[in-house]
Amino acid sequence: MTATTSAPTTRRLTTARAMSEGIAQEMGRDEGVFVMGEDVGAYGGIFGSTGGLLEKFGATRVLDTPISETAFIGLGIGAAVEGMRPIVELMFADFFGVCMDQIYNHMAKIHFESGGKVRVPMVLTTAVGGGYSDGAQHSQCLWGTFAHLPGMKVVVPSNPADAKGLMISAIRDDSPVVYMFHKGVMGLPWMAKNPRATGPVPEEPYGVPIGEAAVVREGADVTVVTLSLSVHHTLDVAEEMSSRGVGVEVIDLRSLVPLDTATVLNSVHKTGRLVIVDEDYQSFGLSGEIAARVAEVDPRMLRAPLARVAVPDVPIPYARTLEQAVLPTRERITAAIDGVLSQ
Amino acid sequence: MDSDIRVELYRMMVLIRTYEEAILREYHADKQPVFDIGAGLVPGEMHLSAGQEPVAAGVCAHLGSGDAVTAPHRPHHVAIAHGVNLDAMTAEIFGRETGLGRGRGGHMHLFDPAAHFSCSGIIAEGMPAALGQAFAFQRRGTDRVAVAFAGEGAANQGAFHESLNLAALWKLPVVFVIEDNDWGISVPRSASTSVPSNGVRGAAYDIPGERVPDNSVEGVHQAAGRAVARARAGQGPSLIEVHTLRLWGHFEGDPQAYRDDLDGVPGRDPIPTYESTLTEAGLLDPERISKIHEDASVRVEQAISFAKDSPIPSGEQARDHVFAQEAHR
Amino acid sequence: MTDVVFPLVDDEAPESPGVVSTWFVEDGAQVREGELLAEVQVSKIADEILAPVSGTLRHKVAEGQVITQGAVVALLE
Repeated sequence: MTATTSAPTTRRLTTARAMSEGIAQEMGRDEGVFVMGEDVGAYGGIFGSTGGLLEKFGATRVLDTPISETAFIGLGIGAAVEGMRPIVELMFADFFGVCMDQIYNHMAKIHFESGGKVRVPMVLTTAVGGGYSDGAQHSQCLWGTFAHLPGMKVVVPSNPADAKGLMISAIRDDSPVVYMFHKGVMGLPWMAKNPRATGPVPEEPYGVPIGEAAVVREGADVTVVTLSLSVHHTLDVAEEMSSRGVGVEVIDLRSLVPLDTATVLNSVHKTGRLVIVDEDYQSFGLSGEIAARVAEVDPRMLRAPLARVAVPDVPIPYARTLEQAVLPTRERITAAIDGVLSQ
Repeated sequence: MDSDIRVELYRMMVLIRTYEEAILREYHADKQPVFDIGAGLVPGEMHLSAGQEPVAAGVCAHLGSGDAVTAPHRPHHVAIAHGVNLDAMTAEIFGRETGLGRGRGGHMHLFDPAAHFSCSGIIAEGMPAALGQAFAFQRRGTDRVAVAFAGEGAANQGAFHESLNLAALWKLPVVFVIEDNDWGISVPRSASTSVPSNGVRGAAYDIPGERVPDNSVEGVHQAAGRAVARARAGQGPSLIEVHTLRLWGHFEGDPQAYRDDLDGVPGRDPIPTYESTLTEAGLLDPERISKIHEDASVRVEQAISFAKDSPIPSGEQARDHVFAQEAHR
Repeated sequence: MTDVVFPLVDDEAPESPGVVSTWFVEDGAQVREGELLAEVQVSKIADEILAPVSGTLRHKVAEGQVITQGAVVALLE
């Protein structure tokens, strides 16, 4: 599965702008789409996800809420049940503790509990990720937790083109979709410069299919399965390693639910070596899931034990040296690839 | 009060009670000789609403099928009063293919989209969705309303407070109805709630709040009439608390050893009381009463038979309906 | 030839320097009037530069290069 872009374009946007452009185009197309959350209006979203929307569509369709996640996520559910298409922002995924019941017991279960008779066509956007010393309660990824609970799709764009396409697909999907965007891929001017956070984005509306991974770099020697900001780091590592003659195949998962197991298996079958890079906690999560899906099909595909580069089971520390020690950095990714190749 | 309305309120309460008595019978029939909660044709928890009929009848008399209702884990009275499909509801309670949720939800998770009805098993967490339904009605320029039912225990959960604040702030057409049946399972209201009545909590959110005493179906009808009219007129939400009665246990199988008011309970049954009131007013006589009970019985047994005759879902279909298939458009 | 100018982003501190944080359009590309050209930043405040006219864009500064508000950042031919 190759990376998705439509006709080549020279128009570049940051991931944040691509996200809000996707939302704007759908809002223009469908009166029932509206945006709700903390600081999504005049501020444009704390991480730029809803920039420009209030000016374009006004306060009846872009609503700032009180700090009442349970109430406004539940309001989104009720509006969706009545046929509207809400986009509700949970400012930081770390805050899910105060509203998880609405998310996993209601948003995710109503369709099933009603035997498919009630749909909840809602998008829950949320910012994830660390690397800028925001501490244990504001730096988590947590996609493993959301992906673990049945009834909600989970998408994680790594780049501007996918951010817009996945947003449009999420809005059009009749199931609830949790859209998790890493702050470090957004291209925010007030964070450390990330060249991969800006990229070509087609101007017309388009969808990136939910449930399809992308092979963003082909290689014959090792498969690295990853997502979100770690795609950027892995591509940097892959470029460096190619100058040493090592071919790293990089798979950007893009969706966790549904998970594109076939693309992962095809690649591992080809290379025989697997590294999983996941900025979520190591145990009981995504990296273990990928490993299990390979093992339950055919562990003999692997010519060496697989390696996981994840955040260890530690709250994310504040001090830069401590935080950098737990995140899946380029150094750790390089070491893991070297380790897998040496066996 | 209009005579026809009064008789209709009585009729609705009788229908509800007849239904709950039938479910009680069916639920326990095959759990003998020792109660096994997972056994029988109706397995799982069962929370019946006998004694709370006045709240459902009094409020839902003001609603049409286009109005939305959310209910908690004890939903049958509200579902029936709001016109939920009785056959499909019963089939769902019996876990059948023809149930509202194709057997996937059960008695605490009943969804009837034609009646905009839903219920939830998580205390107070069904309330926020009512805000969203009200929001959609308002956005579309209708005068439809959403009513969120919950127990007095729910009024101490965060979701209740967040919902009142947001509904008040955005002037949503919502009515919050608290059924104070004195008991949060085994904990009396005096041990859970810092205020003497949840009616006063409306003031905390700058909305009207009142308490209807004595489980009075006419008191409920009047209070609900005012609240629903306010909401339809765009004046925003209201809070009504009704002091009602949980005639039976919190759940079926609850021995209620903690309950110190049991002796007085039968005397507080709202249906014989209202029956006497209407008889004294010349609106009911033994013949009419008998007919009303007979009709209720026929309808209820019809629903039970429908459920029992319906197919049991196959385990192979257990993974169906997690996600929506084709898009609507 | 039209100047593309770094906007006055912080009117309380017009002397404060800033940067073009991101060029959205490559050097030498064709742009339409009103198109988003760049994101700029002065201290904590971000702003954007839209093309004042249509034309071919010639960058005069690089991303991250420290300049003053009001400076010419590009030309449109």
